[in-house]
Amino acid sequence: MILSRRNFSLAAGMAAAVALTAGALIASTAEAAPSAAPGSMAPAFTGKTSDGETISLKDFAGKTVVLEWSNDGCPFVKKHYSAPPSNMQSLQKSAVSNDIVWLTVISSRPGSQGHVSPEEANELTASRDAAPSHVILDESGDIGRLYGAKTTPHMFVVTPEGELAYDGAIDSIASARVNDIAKADNYVTAALANLAAGEAVATPVTKPYGCAVKY
Amino acid sequence: MTGLFRRLAIAACGLFLAAGLAEAQMEDRRAEGVLIADHVSVAPGSRVYAALKMTMDEGWHIYWRNAGDAGLPPQLILKEGTTLPDGAVGDFLWPLPHVIPVVEGEIMDYGYDDEVVFAFPVTVPADASGEIRIVAEADYLICESICIPETADVSLSLPVGEPIEDAAGGAEIGQWIARVPAAFGGEARFDDAVTPWTLSLRQPGGFPEGAQIRFFPFGHEISHPAPQHLRAGPEGATLSLTPDQFGQVEETLAGVIRIDAPGAEPVGYEIAATRGEVFAGTADKDIPLAPTSTGAGSSAEAGDPAALGWERIATLAFFAFIGGLILNLMPCVLPVLSMKAIGMVQAAATGHAGELKSHGVWYTAGVLVSFLALGTALLAVRQATGFATLGFQLQHAPTVAVLALVMFAVGLWLMGFFELGMSVQNLGGGLAAKSGAAGAFFTGVLAAVVGAPCVGPFLGAALGAVISQPAPAVIAVFLAMGFGMALPFLVLSFVPGLHRLLPKPGKWMDTLKQAFAFPMFLTAAWLLSVVAGLAGAGAAGWTLAGATALVFAVWLGRQGGAVRRGLAIVALGAAFIYPAVQANVPEAAISGSSQAAFTGTYGEAAWSPETVVEKLAEGRPVFVDFTASWCASCQVNKLTTLKTRKVQEAFTNADVAFLVADFTQKDPLISEELKLRGRAGVPMYLWYPAGASEPQILPELLTQELVIGLVEG
Repeated sequence: MILSRRNFSLAAGMAAAVALTAGALIASTAEAAPSAAPGSMAPAFTGKTSDGETISLKDFAGKTVVLEWSNDGCPFVKKHYSAPPSNMQSLQKSAVSNDIVWLTVISSRPGSQGHVSPEEANELTASRDAAPSHVILDESGDIGRLYGAKTTPHMFVVTPEGELAYDGAIDSIASARVNDIAKADNYVTAALANLAAGEAVATPVTKPYGCAVKY
Repeated sequence: MTGLFRRLAIAACGLFLAAGLAEAQMEDRRAEGVLIADHVSVAPGSRVYAALKMTMDEGWHIYWRNAGDAGLPPQLILKEGTTLPDGAVGDFLWPLPHVIPVVEGEIMDYGYDDEVVFAFPVTVPADASGEIRIVAEADYLICESICIPETADVSLSLPVGEPIEDAAGGAEIGQWIARVPAAFGGEARFDDAVTPWTLSLRQPGGFPEGAQIRFFPFGHEISHPAPQHLRAGPEGATLSLTPDQFGQVEETLAGVIRIDAPGAEPVGYEIAATRGEVFAGTADKDIPLAPTSTGAGSSAEAGDPAALGWERIATLAFFAFIGGLILNLMPCVLPVLSMKAIGMVQAAATGHAGELKSHGVWYTAGVLVSFLALGTALLAVRQATGFATLGFQLQHAPTVAVLALVMFAVGLWLMGFFELGMSVQNLGGGLAAKSGAAGAFFTGVLAAVVGAPCVGPFLGAALGAVISQPAPAVIAVFLAMGFGMALPFLVLSFVPGLHRLLPKPGKWMDTLKQAFAFPMFLTAAWLLSVVAGLAGAGAAGWTLAGATALVFAVWLGRQGGAVRRGLAIVALGAAFIYPAVQANVPEAAISGSSQAAFTGTYGEAAWSPETVVEKLAEGRPVFVDFTASWCASCQVNKLTTLKTRKVQEAFTNADVAFLVADFTQKDPLISEELKLRGRAGVPMYLWYPAGASEPQILPELLTQELVIGLVEG
C-alpha cells in the first residue's frame, strides 16, 4: 500500500499534537531555582531600563547596589511610597547621594497588575518624586526568579565586591499601615550602615512581606 | 484602565491619602466581618467563645496564621470601648487552611476563601456586671490576583447575668472549632541531614487508603511552593520537604498536616516534629500526588501543578487513549461506526484507496476537534463556576447524590428502558451523510458527540484526576482520548482489508449495551455509600427515593399525553433536586470518621441514667460527656482534652465507660439531669469513680492533667 505523503504528514501531525501538548505541559511546570544567598556572589543579570538602556550588574562593580522589587498597585508598595513620610523616596535619595546604585525592578508580566510601559514607569518616578538610579522592566520575570524575589517590596543589597549582603523585607513590621513605618526597624538602612562601617551585615536575611510578585 | 483613571482622579483631587486607603474606599468591600458568640448572656467568671466571622467575595481569599510566601494573617485589634481587661480576649483558633498557589510552582500561600470563622475564648471577669463589650477592628489583607488591606469595625456586647446559650452562634462556632487541627496522636520526626528533608509521620495502622497529605509549616523553614512527595506504609507516611534556601530548624519543626482522604472531609493535625530518622513502615511505596483539593466551595484554584508531574499526566493520557479505544466498542458509538464509517470503508475498498485515506484523516480530525471542544468547554465551565473538581473529589454530598442518580439513569438507558439522544444523532447524521471530506469530518464529530455520554466511570476517574490541573494537561488528556477513539478507523482507512475482521452490527450489540448497565448500577451503589458517608443515612434514603421518582417519571412519560408528560417532568425535576437538597446538610460539628483521631472509645455508648447504674454495677468507672454540636466549649474540650491520645489511653487503661449525652436536640431526660446537677446547660462532665454512687461534677473547662489525674487517681 502506498501512503500519500500529504495524508501521512497529516496523520503524523495529529499524533504530534498530543505529544506537543504534553511537551508544553512539561515546559510550563519546569521550576527555576533561585540561586541567590547572602554571602555568595549576587547573580549576574542584564536588563532593559525605562530609558531604553541595557544595563548589567557588572556595570556597577565597585559600588554598593540596592535592588528594590516594586509594583505601584500593591498596597505594601504604596505604604512605603506614600507622602508623608515618603519612606522609599528618602531611602533612594540618601543612597544615591552616598554613591550607592539604586535599581527599582518591576517584574510584573504584561497584562498583570503593576506592569507599566517605559513612559508610565518614568511618569511614576516623577509623580512619586522617587529617585532610583534606574528602573528595570523585567517583563519576563527572569531577573526576579534569578534572585528569588517573592514579594513587592523585596529588597536586596549587593556589596562593591559583588556579594549579596542582604535579602529580605524592607523593615520589621509586616503591615500595609503607613503609621507602622516610624515604629519599624529598617533592614536596608541597617545593612547599608553595616557595609559603610566595614562590618558584616548584622541581619543578612529576613522574610520579605508584601504582595506576591506578578510573574 | 481603572488603575490609571484612579491615579488621575486622585491626582486631580489633590488627595495625598495613602492610595491604598483611597482604593479601599472607592471600591466596594471584598469581605464582611462580624463578631458572633455562643452565648446571648454570660455569667461572671465564666468562659465563653466568640468568633470573627469573615465572608469573602467570590475569588478573594484571606490568610492563615502563616500566610506563606506573601500575604498577612488577619488580626483583631481591640479598641477604645472594650470593657474587658488585658488577656481576657484570647487568640484565634485557626481552622485548617488550604493551599493558594499564587504563581504555579513559585509562590505559594496558605489561607481561606468563601467563609471562615476564627473562634477565640473570652474570659468574663468575676466582677463583671451589666454587660461586657468588645469593640475592635478586624484588620486583614484580602487578595484575588491583587491585594487590598481592609479593616472592618466589629463589636459585640453581651449582658452579664444568667448564662444563656445562643444555639445558632454556638453551632457555627462549634462547627469551625471542629475544623481546628487537633494534636497529632502519632509521632512525627524530621530529618534535615540531607536535602530534600524528610518528615516522617508514624501512626499505627497508617493513613486512609488514597489519602493525600501536605505539611503546612508555622514558620518559613521550607520552600512553600515545592511539591511534597509522599510515601506511605502500614505504619504511617513520610513527606519529602524542600528546605527554603536559608531554612534552618532549631529543635522542632512545627506546623499542621492536612489529610485529604477520598470521600472524607479534609482533616488536620498539629505536629511538632523532632529530629530523627524516617520511621520504619512509613515509606514503603510512593503515593502519586493528586491535585490538592481545597475543600468544598473553593475558588477556581488549580492544584499544585508540580504535585502532578508530567509522568503522571503522560500515564493519564495513556489511559485516556486506551479509554478512547474502548469507546469504539460502546453501544453508542459502534452503530455510527458500523453504519457510516464501515460503509465508507467497504465502498472505498473497491478501489478508491487514496480517497479512503483522506477520509480516515478527516474523520480523525473531526474526532480530535470535537474532543478539543469538549475539553475547552470543560475548562470554560471550570473557569466560570470555579468548580475545579467537578465533584470527582466526592466531597460535596449534593454533587455526589446527583452523580449517583445520573449513573442510575445512564444504567436505565443502557438497559433500554428509554430512548435518548435521537435528535442529536439525527442532527449529526444529516451532516455526516454529506459525501467526501466534509462527510468524513462530520462522521468524526458525530462519533465523538454520541460517544461522549458513554464515557464511563473508568474514564471519570482519569478526568477527576486531571480536571483541576492546568489547562494544557486537561487538553492533552482529551486529545489522547480522541486519538484513541479515532485510531481504529484511521488504521482501517489505511489498511482497508481489515474491515472484514470487524464484528458485524447485530443483536449482540444490544446485549452488550445492556451488559454495560451493570457497572453503571454498581457505580451508583458505590456513590450512594459515599452520600451516606458524607451526609448520613437520611440523604442516602432520599437519593434512593429520587431514583424511584426517576423511574416513575420515565414510566409516566412513556404513557404519552400532555398531562402525564407534564407530571413526568415535575417528577424528573424532583428526582434530582430533592435528594440534592437533602444531602446538603451542614455536616455535624464532629463528623466521627474524619475528626476523631481516636474513635476507639470515644462515643462508646449513649447516656441514660440506667446505663450509668449498669456500668457502675460492672465495677467500671464512668465518664459522662454532656455535649451538643452547637456548644463551642464542648468542641474545644474535645479538641484539647477528650480526644487526645493521652486521655484516650488513660480511659482505655482504666476501662472507663465513656457515655455521651447529646443535647443537640432537646431531650427532656438530659434537661432533667442538668437541673438535678444545678447546671444551666452543656458542657457538663460527670465522673463516677469505680464503685461510686454519686458523680463528681467537673469544671466546664477540661485539661488533660485534670482528667488523667481523675482516671488514674
